[in-house]
Amino acid sequence: MPRPRTRRHRALVPLLATAALLLTGCANPSTGSADDDPTAPVTLRFWHGWSEKNEVEAIDDSIARFRKLHPNIRVKSTGNVTDATVNQALRAGGGDAPDVVSSFTTDNVGQYCSSGMWADLDPFLKKSGMAKERIFPEVLLDYTRYQGKQCALPLLADSFGMYYNKDAFEKAGITRPPRTMSEFRRAAVRLTERTADGSYRQLGFMPDFRLYQNSPDRLFAQWGPTYFDGEGKSRLAQGDTAEDFFTTQRDLVTALGGYGPLEKFRTTFGDEMSSQNAFLTGKLAMHMDGEWRGLMLDASKPGFRWGTAPMPVPDDQADAYGRGYLTGTVAGIAHSSKHQNAAWELVRFLTADTEQVVAFANAIHNIPSTKAALASPKLARDPAFRTFLDIARHPRSVSMPPSVNGGRYIVSLRDFAYEAEAGRVPDLEKGLRRLDRQIDEDNLQSRN
Amino acid sequence: MATPPATRPAPELRRRHTRERLRTLGFLSPWLIGFTVFFGYPLLATVYFSFMHYNQIQAPSFVGLRNWTYVLDRMPLFGPALWNTLWLVVVMVSLRVVFGLGIGLLVTRIKTGAGFFRTAFYLPYLAPPVTATVAFVFLLNPGTGPVNEALGALGIPAPNWFNDPDWAKPSLVLLSLWGIGDLMVIFMAALLDVPREQYEAAELDGAGVLARFRYVTWPAITPIVMFAVVTGVVQTMQYYTQALVAGKLASGVSIGPGSVIQPGYPDGSTLTVPQLVYSLGFQNFDTGAACVLSLVLFAIAMAVTSLLMRRSTGLLSAED
Amino acid sequence: MAPTNARPPAMRRARPALHWIAVHTTAVAAALFFVLPFVFVLLTSVMSDAQAMSGELWPHEWHWSNYTEVFHTPGFLTWWRNSLLYAGLGTLLTVCSSVPVAYALAKFRFRGRRPAMMLVVATMMLPPQVIVIPMYLVWAQQLHLSGSLWPLIVPLAFGDAYAIFLLRQFLLTIPREYLESAKVDGCGELRTLLRIVVPMAKPGIAAVALFQFFFCWNDYFGPQIYAAQNPGAWTLSYGLESFKSAHGVNWNLTMAATLLVMAPVVLVFFFAQKTFVEGVTLTGVKG
Repeated sequence: MPRPRTRRHRALVPLLATAALLLTGCANPSTGSADDDPTAPVTLRFWHGWSEKNEVEAIDDSIARFRKLHPNIRVKSTGNVTDATVNQALRAGGGDAPDVVSSFTTDNVGQYCSSGMWADLDPFLKKSGMAKERIFPEVLLDYTRYQGKQCALPLLADSFGMYYNKDAFEKAGITRPPRTMSEFRRAAVRLTERTADGSYRQLGFMPDFRLYQNSPDRLFAQWGPTYFDGEGKSRLAQGDTAEDFFTTQRDLVTALGGYGPLEKFRTTFGDEMSSQNAFLTGKLAMHMDGEWRGLMLDASKPGFRWGTAPMPVPDDQADAYGRGYLTGTVAGIAHSSKHQNAAWELVRFLTADTEQVVAFANAIHNIPSTKAALASPKLARDPAFRTFLDIARHPRSVSMPPSVNGGRYIVSLRDFAYEAEAGRVPDLEKGLRRLDRQIDEDNLQSRN
Repeated sequence: MATPPATRPAPELRRRHTRERLRTLGFLSPWLIGFTVFFGYPLLATVYFSFMHYNQIQAPSFVGLRNWTYVLDRMPLFGPALWNTLWLVVVMVSLRVVFGLGIGLLVTRIKTGAGFFRTAFYLPYLAPPVTATVAFVFLLNPGTGPVNEALGALGIPAPNWFNDPDWAKPSLVLLSLWGIGDLMVIFMAALLDVPREQYEAAELDGAGVLARFRYVTWPAITPIVMFAVVTGVVQTMQYYTQALVAGKLASGVSIGPGSVIQPGYPDGSTLTVPQLVYSLGFQNFDTGAACVLSLVLFAIAMAVTSLLMRRSTGLLSAED
Repeated sequence: MAPTNARPPAMRRARPALHWIAVHTTAVAAALFFVLPFVFVLLTSVMSDAQAMSGELWPHEWHWSNYTEVFHTPGFLTWWRNSLLYAGLGTLLTVCSSVPVAYALAKFRFRGRRPAMMLVVATMMLPPQVIVIPMYLVWAQQLHLSGSLWPLIVPLAFGDAYAIFLLRQFLLTIPREYLESAKVDGCGELRTLLRIVVPMAKPGIAAVALFQFFFCWNDYFGPQIYAAQNPGAWTLSYGLESFKSAHGVNWNLTMAATLLVMAPVVLVFFFAQKTFVEGVTLTGVKG
């Protein structure tokens, strides 16, 4: 029957035409530009991750200070934005997409730089006559660029250390925070108290990787690992750093009662940001966290005295004591922004204006991210905070290397760590080789 | 092009034919457009993208079969996701049908307070999936959940439910049994449709409870059971919301501001194929790999439904 | 009476009573399984922060203020508005676009009717994840409408396979004679549809509308894909999932929020119980 067939073909023509039209138009059409006049009246969209009341107030104050310097630029800020959102919105483009973007971690900088989602800032730095090496500490510049492309600048930094319950230490007869991993394990066991029915009343330390800020990359920083070799290949199975790390954590889990009971105890903890935070309610005697937690502890007035210290280091690296995991908020300009010069004014103010950086750091209790601000006499210096400043300045502190697909390798590392802590990786060396292979495969799949 | 066959009558009738065809097209037009734009096009595009590297920011580039080999061979999550989906299809669907039939039988026998019981059994089905899942994660929370508190008080060893890789899927099945209302209603209707006389006749022949079920009830409700199985399989292949929400909430990992949380907690035991499509497409922005997985899901769904549809032709029959 | 049934009289009297007890004991046990979760959720929703994390079952004090607190969390009212918009407008569009299609598929005679019906069923069976990626790309990159609910609402104006299927099943039961007589009276097909078919199909349309409303209200996947990047477009179902971690709250407030999201659905059910149960039956029994 030739007739219906021709007709059917005819019906296919518009279908295919539409399909072709839609497919060919798929490259993102919304490209921005940097030929706007930064002194002309303009409204900028600024996305950030801060959500707590004091933080939002601090960011609003910062914007008010900026407005005094640049009355022509209005800033519309949106808080509580995660990287997932930034990632999606910048890909989608459109009128609501932000001009100035920020991220709470350095995990995705590699992806932002290599894909071009965040604009290269070097031309702007040059235009403004700024020498970035003189303004920002080297390590912070490192984590805001990828393969030489500076697509972000540090907007305050975070360092991770230990919070400990001084009353519990006194009761257990421990005089100072542990410095090596074996000291740490002994202390954690001594600080652990149980109830009559065998469950925990107080745990010395919660080693499980899913607790609050405990993700494995943070604790692993105490070992000073190298994630990639010169060719960008994952090298966790080489040497025994990673193996020692996972063995130490697993020993800690076993010494404290085993993975099952610990995980069960973890499900009795309240939300991290609430009054039922496990360190706050006395369920944990030692706790790994970032410098900002001090402000929250002060505000909620716990029923015990607390102190801060660097996290312990492996026994064979005792000389590295004082190091910790470093990360930070980073800020940049969206590739799709049509007001990139105006956006640069805001980025520059937030990241490099000494007075602003100090005021903002004090307000939200973060580590300042410029050399001048770190030396400023106006910087708050209570002893609890001092610990974290020292960790941030420690030469052997560690941040995560950027990668073409952002934090994907960190996600793989975490998934491996979850398996390992549960005792599901019988042969660590073999497992780590598998992890290396996986990270390399994923990296390859992310390249053009 | 078309010369009408010689037997075709006068032009007037032909005009009427054209008019009728246009009318039919007019009535069908919303769906014809919808089908082309929201089904035909995306399906073609999925095939196209499965051969492309496209991170949704740089222009797509042709990579041949790389995405296919990556998903099928070099991505370790594919196997577990497929296994979990099949596990759920087999276990969840069969248990739901058996439990739904049981509750249906029970409801038809209740004499006192039938209205109350029917509503009580039905209500959980109405709870939106996200709310029901959030509630169950709380109820089954190993440390403080009421279920384990109660089991503990009775001295029964309690599992860690959503927090144990061996128990997470069974917990999801439990959640699905809680929302059995839909099956209960259709089974109830089917059971009430079985003529009473047949039971009485069977009883007179000396048939016991089991024999009556085997020879009277079962033949009468087989089409409905088949229907429940087909729709159950279709729904379970799409299983997404409950598994994702349960995994995320039970893991207790706060939403990382930076990197994403891989679905499937604990240890990938609740990762289903649809979740993996989401994860690849919207967490990794690996459009190509996500489209490959979409096509795999499409192929499985079509194969299973055509197989099941052949066995239960009821859906398309009843012309008028 | 068959000899097997010849039992002592006392036992024959006892049997219905035993049967009654067995059935109703089972029923009560089953009811506990279905109802207790609601009770625990309700009890926890009025506990204090500290008690919600203690594992105790009965609230020491009744904190009804938890509910007002939930309403005051940023975004909650916006989620409500968005859910109503999505479910309301979505239902309206689905019904308006699906009724004529279902009518044509049920009552018109034309070539390709059976394949068309099979395609409807096939779309119905298709997991939404299969086509979501290209669809998302069109909405996000061509139309720049991601971050809103329009990508979820607009497609419903072009018929929904499930609604078409159910409505067709229902329309098949309308005798052809009614339609013929309307045509004799000089009604065109459109007028026949509006004057005769729609009033007769009211129960079916009501059931389909209810299903669609519940589907939109409960939808999580759609908002997660299209609305996630803009909290101003979140719906209740989507917002609730991140409620606990995003707002740093504990089980008590989470349970209060959970009940507040369940409430409208349960209310609609009590008002439209009959339509709903009929609708569920329609999906199965007519098959």
